[in-house]
Amino acid sequence: MAYETLLVERRGPVGWLVFDRPDAGNAMDATMFRELEAAWRELDRDPAVRVIVNTGNGPAFQTGVDVVQLGRDKQALREQSRRTRDAELRLTAWHNQVWKPVIAAVNGVCAGGGLHFVADADIVLASSKASFVDPHVSLGQVSAYETIGLVRKSPMEPIVRMALTGAHERIDAARARQLGILSQVVEPPDELRDAAQELGEKVASNSPAAMRATKQALWGALELGLTDASRAGARALVSMWGHPDQEEGPRAFAEKREPVWQPLEPHERTTA
Amino acid sequence: MTYPELECLKLERRGPIGWLINNRPDRLNAMSARMRDEFALAWTELDRDPEVKVIVHTGEGRAFQTGVDVAEIASDGVGMERYRRSVEEFDLHFTSWHQQVWKPVITAVNGLCAGGGFHWIADADVVIAASDAEFFDPHVSIGQVVSLEAIGLIRKMPVEAVMRMAFVGRHERLGAPRAYELGMISQIVDPPERLRDEAQALAEKIARNSPAAMRATKRALWGALEVGLTDACRAGAGELVSMWGHPDQEEGPRAFSEKRDPHWRDLTEP
Repeated sequence: MAYETLLVERRGPVGWLVFDRPDAGNAMDATMFRELEAAWRELDRDPAVRVIVNTGNGPAFQTGVDVVQLGRDKQALREQSRRTRDAELRLTAWHNQVWKPVIAAVNGVCAGGGLHFVADADIVLASSKASFVDPHVSLGQVSAYETIGLVRKSPMEPIVRMALTGAHERIDAARARQLGILSQVVEPPDELRDAAQELGEKVASNSPAAMRATKQALWGALELGLTDASRAGARALVSMWGHPDQEEGPRAFAEKREPVWQPLEPHERTTA
Repeated sequence: MTYPELECLKLERRGPIGWLINNRPDRLNAMSARMRDEFALAWTELDRDPEVKVIVHTGEGRAFQTGVDVAEIASDGVGMERYRRSVEEFDLHFTSWHQQVWKPVITAVNGLCAGGGFHWIADADVVIAASDAEFFDPHVSIGQVVSLEAIGLIRKMPVEAVMRMAFVGRHERLGAPRAYELGMISQIVDPPERLRDEAQALAEKIARNSPAAMRATKRALWGALEVGLTDACRAGAGELVSMWGHPDQEEGPRAFSEKRDPHWRDLTEP
């Protein structure tokens, strides 16, 4: 499928979802909102894609809602307003219930709504010139979804500070790594995509079915208390018992060869 | 607004910033029964002052706060029993979170922070510290349980570091640099004498943002500690939508495009 605002590509087992409005800081206009849902689903359905990398073209990673379009044509974003209100966003892999591993490769500034894609990724790496800023409250807007996700995943105080200082402060890549918001800073910046592909291929060499159950268990843990999360996690564990990958993994290890994993069966999406 | 004269706390306003200063330096700012009552009043006073956009909390002397006044507990013949009902019913009123203050709160740790002092680390939005600040939790070393403060902290930072402090008790201290690495605090001020100036500067930055949007943001983020991720996002959507149609949402982008500072609505205005 061809996209206007995104590039969707495949490099070996790694699917790439690239924001492609570099002249607009990759801000999300109505077209991109629509295309994001289609692109996540396309990559999720393709059995050749084991892992998805999400990055941006140009100097910015993602800068949130396109305020230029919002100012010019409120109607265009009416559907997104409804989805925001009803908590039915479909921007990120998590919103779209993508259970393949998702790596965010932050190539530059990540502002406001761009933080959705960091909060909702499984693994985050960034170029050394990446930075994180949440200008919502400086524009009279509330910071909610993105920072709610982030405070579950990293120390809270720096996220609240980012939300309350708004446009007047930013977090750089090195500090983001120290805080565990991301796990790898790539220097020089132009090697980010190679590093993301390399990491993607490492991840892609693992059992797709085991990773799906793992991802469901870990994201599910953010929904519940510890004991309930552990109970749900136990069901995720058992869901793999009897799966061919559980024979293949140890056998391949003993035979000192690469395992041949079962392709993922398509999964049902639940509606919100 | 003039603030009441308090015995154990000082209340001041500097521009848009309200200051709450622990003022029992000779007792390392330990919390007496009197101070406990004054906290409840002080937070409410600063919260209802329309001139105050952001609150900074710090201490006089070499300590920020060192928990309950153990000397008073040991000598007044009542001890901790005085607090039994309020603790059993979790009916506490000495932090901004207890008092439902939705203005941004910065804790500026000026020195030692021990035991119950962690309440104001756990319950603040933003925490900064002087470079010589130190943190430790002596509860278990004097036969006391670590509970509320650490419950707050383990929601907000890596758990292991909090557990270690809880179990090592008075025999080890966490320095400001490690607290910064862990994301317990977001800024170290060196030299330490600059702490109040830096806190004022940070608070003024925050005070440039929309009070109504910050209130809704703060509710969304603290609310996120109460429920699962999906439910938190649903509740957060409610906070988001609560600002739609608010004048600040027009004023923010307009001021930005006109390259001027925005004029926000006061929280007290309808």
